[in-house]
Amino acid sequence: MNLVTSMILRRMRAPFLLVICVYTIAILGMIVIPGVDDEGNVWRMSIFDAFYFVSYTATTIGFGEIPFPLSHAQRLWAVVTIYMTVISWFYAIGRILTLVQEKTFREAATRSSFKRDIRALDQPFYLVCGFGETGRAVVSSLAEECYRTVVIEINPDNLSELTLNEMPEFVPSLAGDASDPEQLELAGVRHPMCHGVIAVTPSDETNLKIAITSKLLHPNIRVACRSEIKEYADNMISFDTDYIVNPFETFANIFAMAMHSPSLHLIYDWLTGSPNTKLSGPVYFRYGHWILCGYGRFGRQLFTHLQKHNMPTTIIDPSGEVEAEYNDVIEKGQCTFIRGIGFDAETLKKAGIDHAAGLIAGTDNDSNNLSIIMTGRAINPDVFVVARQNELSNRALYQATRANLVMRPREIIARKIRVLFQTPLLVDFLSLARDRDAEWANVTVSRLSAIVGEVRPHLWTVLIDKKEAPAVTQGLEFGRKITLGHITQDPIIRLQKLKCVPLLLSRVDEAILMPEVDAEIHAMDRILFCGTHEVRNSMHSTLNEMSSLNFVMTLVKEPESYIWRKIYRHYHRDERRKKERTQAPGK
Amino acid sequence: MNLEKVVFSFFMILALTLNFGFFYGDVDNPEHHNVFELLAVLVVNMVATVLKFGDRSQMGAMLLATSLVAVVQLISASIVWSVAVHVHETGLTSAAMATIVSLSGGAMLANIISVILLMIEAAMLRH
Repeated sequence: MNLVTSMILRRMRAPFLLVICVYTIAILGMIVIPGVDDEGNVWRMSIFDAFYFVSYTATTIGFGEIPFPLSHAQRLWAVVTIYMTVISWFYAIGRILTLVQEKTFREAATRSSFKRDIRALDQPFYLVCGFGETGRAVVSSLAEECYRTVVIEINPDNLSELTLNEMPEFVPSLAGDASDPEQLELAGVRHPMCHGVIAVTPSDETNLKIAITSKLLHPNIRVACRSEIKEYADNMISFDTDYIVNPFETFANIFAMAMHSPSLHLIYDWLTGSPNTKLSGPVYFRYGHWILCGYGRFGRQLFTHLQKHNMPTTIIDPSGEVEAEYNDVIEKGQCTFIRGIGFDAETLKKAGIDHAAGLIAGTDNDSNNLSIIMTGRAINPDVFVVARQNELSNRALYQATRANLVMRPREIIARKIRVLFQTPLLVDFLSLARDRDAEWANVTVSRLSAIVGEVRPHLWTVLIDKKEAPAVTQGLEFGRKITLGHITQDPIIRLQKLKCVPLLLSRVDEAILMPEVDAEIHAMDRILFCGTHEVRNSMHSTLNEMSSLNFVMTLVKEPESYIWRKIYRHYHRDERRKKERTQAPGK
Repeated sequence: MNLEKVVFSFFMILALTLNFGFFYGDVDNPEHHNVFELLAVLVVNMVATVLKFGDRSQMGAMLLATSLVAVVQLISASIVWSVAVHVHETGLTSAAMATIVSLSGGAMLANIISVILLMIEAAMLRH
């Protein structure tokens, strides 16, 4: 018997017993006490009549005195009956209501309905631990791509937003401590459909515990953790946590990308953004003197990159630690240090805002950052501004300042996690692309936007194996030469190319960036495509159906049904023999 | 001396004995079966059922099941009796009586099983 039902039943024992007792006494009384019928004879109620009378009396319905008006003795007993039975009914109902309102009961009820929801999940889902701002960003970005999620969060108030939020699909949520293995188990970490655990609580220690627990309870599950402190990150790596996301490090890489090649940054931003982002203009980095306000984790990483490019920097920070740490660098003259926060014009002028190329507002306080930006822009309107946005709610303010590059830590984590889980090949693509020059990036951007348009394309991976691409695999087994050009051909309209671009062809021993149209496909290749949804469906047909594959390769439409195919083949067997000989040399 | 166990067992055995008392006698002779005894059997069985609520063990689940079966059968017997006497105005025919007694026989079997389970539980506790 499940917990909720047994709790109800146990509580209801006393009231039910009372009701039964009282009813019995009332009925017995009504049977025993004599009444008078319409002819003046003594008459007694039968058990059934008495039961009927007591029933409508106890529930305060009160039909009337049947079948004859009650004698006074009967009425006396009826009065006793009324007070006994009505009160006992109210007591029973009151008991049920207090039980339902009780906190422990409600918790047990939500827990058991949560368990039911989890058991009913038959689609792959991700378990997200922590539903603060980051968790919310992660869940909505996964939901945009139609992935199901389950959420655990320690603070029940944070979860109330989930019920108000309109997510396209229902997200089961549990209020509990994610570092407790029992709660994780309750949330379905062992469920065969749980394809990944995402630990984005604010505490690195909790994330670490979640990672360990998940790996132990569900071996080979993919785990992504948010980690901002190095010791915890190292610990996570030691037991094979699949992905560790450090928002500061990630942003520093983005910053480096923007410095190095704006077009590449544009590609990154476009391909990893949410599904409806439009292609925006590239961010043109400025070389020269940079001013860095706020030397926390954020500032530190950016400073390293600025140093690499030998850009003179002035650091403005209220604490004196920087000075001590970077004494040697300061002495070399590469960077100067000013003590202060930086939102006042005087400090900025001292730092050289008038001729500065860039200004970084990297403190952990949004008001300070906004003030720094506004003051800086007032003095030097063309300065390149990099800002750190701390609170999600201040998005509109930062947009209004028209900062060139805004770091939103939560969004960065959410984006990275989405890319890691959904299209891991994109990460390989971006790391290979980083080695290319700006010229290549420019060409790629124009090529992509020419073919797929301005809105962010859909990205998907095709694995050439028996399950995902049976027709192609079979064709390869027969020795046919299948190229990317064949796959990107429209299987319905003759000689029309599908609107998509192959971004990466990945094999065990090599990876080809932006492969050419005549690149050959081998079995077990992974290809990253970008295009529209319709294109993906058309390609699906070529990959799966032999008739479509034959059509794109020979441009001859073969009949689909069994009988017609036999007839067709019979009539065209000479032609087929000739073609096969030329298409598969040496087989 | 566990008072709760005493009360629990008392009501279960009382239910069985009353039921047997009602059941015994010619199956179609209304004079052998007293309506008040049927009332008593029904009430005591309901009390016994309520006492079995909320026990989460396997044994508890089975006991509750047998009690529910008995109560269902006895309620059916009462309905048949009321219908025969009041609705049809034919009084208690032997056919109706036979039906009532058979139903109470079914309830008695359920009560027997209940008491056997109770005895098994008591025996198991003494290891």
